[in-house]
Amino acid sequence: MSIDLTLVGQFIVFITMLLLLKKMLYVPLNDAMEARTKKIEDGLAAADAGLEAKAKADADAAAQIDEAKAKAQEILAAADKRAAEVKEEAVQKARLEAEGIVDAGKEELAAEVNRAQQALREEVADIAILAAERIVGEELDAKKHTKLIDSVVEQGFNAA
Amino acid sequence: MAAEEHSGIAGHLQYWTYSFQQDLPVDERNPFMQIHIDTMLVSGFVALLILGFSFWLKGRIVEGAPTGAQNAVESLVGFVNDTVRDNFPVHNPIIAPLALTVFVFIFLCNFFDILPAYLLGHVAHSFGAPAFRPVPTNDLNLPVAMALTVFAMVLYYEFKLKPVHFMKDLLLQPFANLLLMSKNPIVKLLGVLLIPLNLTLKLIEEIAKPLSLSFRLFGNMFAGEVIFLLIASLLLADNFAGMASVGGAISEIMGLLVGLGWSFFHMFIGLLQAFIFMILTVVYLSIAHQPVEH
Repeated sequence: MSIDLTLVGQFIVFITMLLLLKKMLYVPLNDAMEARTKKIEDGLAAADAGLEAKAKADADAAAQIDEAKAKAQEILAAADKRAAEVKEEAVQKARLEAEGIVDAGKEELAAEVNRAQQALREEVADIAILAAERIVGEELDAKKHTKLIDSVVEQGFNAA
Repeated sequence: MAAEEHSGIAGHLQYWTYSFQQDLPVDERNPFMQIHIDTMLVSGFVALLILGFSFWLKGRIVEGAPTGAQNAVESLVGFVNDTVRDNFPVHNPIIAPLALTVFVFIFLCNFFDILPAYLLGHVAHSFGAPAFRPVPTNDLNLPVAMALTVFAMVLYYEFKLKPVHFMKDLLLQPFANLLLMSKNPIVKLLGVLLIPLNLTLKLIEEIAKPLSLSFRLFGNMFAGEVIFLLIASLLLADNFAGMASVGGAISEIMGLLVGLGWSFFHMFIGLLQAFIFMILTVVYLSIAHQPVEH
């Protein structure tokens, strides 16, 4: 149990081992561990960034969906409005056309009535002349007695 | 080679020594001028074992998922890194490798105590060596060399990082600092006169660090080996005739059981001492790196 030159030898052994162990084992192993730690940290950061991007994309998609829904609602409302307008226009147009048709019919009817009245009047006049001739016994001059016949027919029509 | 004749436990506590003063009579030789061949051989073998393993592992290190030996060594390196990180205020790239070297080297040297107490001595005798101590940490030279290396590093960092503070600490603590701050010249003179006392106290405090560091390891391992030798001497028979009797057989069984129990306990002590040496190394160097408080 004495201090001797073994101490010097142990200094050499220990310091040599310290330097070589640092160079041969500690530094390469530590570098590998740090590289792995960095890779894992990068991976975790990338995963976090991915999750963040996904959340952002989800939020964007939800916003776009909401926007699209709002636009669709607007389009539907505009379409409904337009449809109502078209319907109203069509109804209006149909109404106008119907009124036109009715008016034309009325006019045509009036004309027919006039024509019928005229024809009737002429027939009645003829009949009246014929009857008067039979009653009077002589031929009436249609041109000569037209005024008289027309006034009688007129009176008859008015009385009817 | 000096081969002193001893018997029993004392004989097994002798080193295999070589004197560099072979031409002088044994009594006139300087005890410092000798070397313990067994300590050098075993510590050199352990160092080569560690370095060989490091060299082997270096070519197989992968950055991906580690397996086998790399996994085990990474656990150890991670443990050492955590210990250093928890205790160290700044980053110093030499501290963790130093702590790793201290821990692994001491633990493996201590591990040689698992060999039967008399085995290597008898093997060495058969090869003509006068004695052989298998555990290099039982030799005071190894713990002292490691402790002095740590102490030298502590002094280096104290002088490098805070030279003024360290010198003030060395000369003016604990008594003189307050006295020198006084405006009274007599009190100030008293402070100056107390500087040698401060220096003495501080030197004792500083020298106690490597002394306690080395003697703790040496004492524990030496005591452990002595107990192994005591168990073997008291309970195990020297020859087959001794084992043939009932008492001899009982004694033999008890010797084996007690020896086995002590082996397990001593392995734990070896691991604990390696850890204590490492943690104190880190703590002493950490104190040297602590920033000066104003």
